[in-house]
Amino acid sequence: MQLAYLLAAGWRKTVSSIACLLALFLLAGCASPGHQALSSVEDLPPRTELAETPFFADDSHFCGPAALATVLTAAGFPTRPEALVGQVFLPGRQGSLQIEMLAGARRQGAVATVIPDALHALMREIAAGHPVVILQNLGLSWAPSWHYAVAVGYDLQADTLLLRSGPLKRQALSLRTFMHTWDRSGRWAFVVSPPDQLPATATQAETVKALVAFERNASAVSAAQAYRTGLERWPHNPTLAMGLGNALYASGDKEGAQALFRQVVERHQLAAAYNNLARLLLESGNTNEARLLAQQGLAVAGPLRETLMETLKAIDDAAQTPKQSIPAAAEHRGQ
Amino acid sequence: MHIQSQVPIRIGLEEKTMKRLQRILAVVLSLSLIHVSMIQTAHATLVSTEQVARLADGEQAGSGHARLTTALSRADVRAAMERQGVDPALALERVAALTDDEAGRLAEQINSAPAGGIIGALLLVFFVLLVTDILGLTKVYPFTRPVR
Repeated sequence: MQLAYLLAAGWRKTVSSIACLLALFLLAGCASPGHQALSSVEDLPPRTELAETPFFADDSHFCGPAALATVLTAAGFPTRPEALVGQVFLPGRQGSLQIEMLAGARRQGAVATVIPDALHALMREIAAGHPVVILQNLGLSWAPSWHYAVAVGYDLQADTLLLRSGPLKRQALSLRTFMHTWDRSGRWAFVVSPPDQLPATATQAETVKALVAFERNASAVSAAQAYRTGLERWPHNPTLAMGLGNALYASGDKEGAQALFRQVVERHQLAAAYNNLARLLLESGNTNEARLLAQQGLAVAGPLRETLMETLKAIDDAAQTPKQSIPAAAEHRGQ
Repeated sequence: MHIQSQVPIRIGLEEKTMKRLQRILAVVLSLSLIHVSMIQTAHATLVSTEQVARLADGEQAGSGHARLTTALSRADVRAAMERQGVDPALALERVAALTDDEAGRLAEQINSAPAGGIIGALLLVFFVLLVTDILGLTKVYPFTRPVR
């Protein structure tokens, strides 16, 4: 019974897709997403190819590790797909998930940033010398065939995109077909870069997301470098400044961290900055200023109320004990 | 694996209990890890950048409840990865590489999110995909060339 039902359902789907196909035949004359998407790329060179991009052939389920190894090696983090399988491949799903592709790149020391979902962004990255990992659905929405490939070039005259894809070293895919396969993945694409560089097209929001995630896997020194790179492009972003402050503190530069937190307090009156500055002042034995800042922070605390109350309590506790005990205790911990 | 199963139902039950125990153990371990990390940062207790970012996005981050939810979703992701065939030691590393936000999303989507791995087209849809390939709407088969 169930089998018969399933077959019937499958047949119905097939029939409906054939109907859709007939409709598409009739519509095909007016739909050409490739050309539409190209209207805004006059500033781009007519053809580009990052021919030096390495190629790791794959004809199994490891297109995720292969694509990742391709862009990492190109960005100066030499690796091989075999080394990444254990980090990004999910045997039960016979593939790799988007979130883990980003995390896998970070684990090799690279910043992984999702770029805007537009063809001209993809092309601008290639023109800027960054090969781009793209997710395609090569099949149909109801019969998906998810696939990662690396875009390494394009040719506007020939209307093609050049890909390192699975077993193909240089696939010249028509832009129209590419757009169909890319549309079905929600046009997902990302670029990996060393911490002193940013993708050409990344938005402020995606950059902040990428850098904050980078901090989790990076050493304090490279996290600080990455935040500095972000702040060069967006000097007034409070999250990036807080990130740099935290990374400096973690790397042992307490004065630098204080200066950063103070800057965020003055410019943005961020409760987290009041809290962190108060904590650093407390650590250096400056309880009076620490209390003042924690109280100011409490006034704008919002969801961080609990955190600032704890900080105030720690300041009060420290003020009650003899003054010299704080640096002494800190030294003790250091040993 | 080598035991000849005379009472298969009982073994099934034991497996279930084992899985449940594993899950509880995972949660307890994760919570104890958090506890350790809280002790380690106790002398500074800076608000982390991840927390700042979530606050900037307007989320209620930083509460004890949020931390507990994160711990649970990390344990969930780890257990799900092991069920999907990832080596337990590797799963631990992979979960640690995720931000709280990513762990939360992965906990919900690990069984459903797109998994790039290709070559999954069924025989049933072979012809449909062949036609759509030729139309240039899909690109499943390497030997097809679109009509336009």
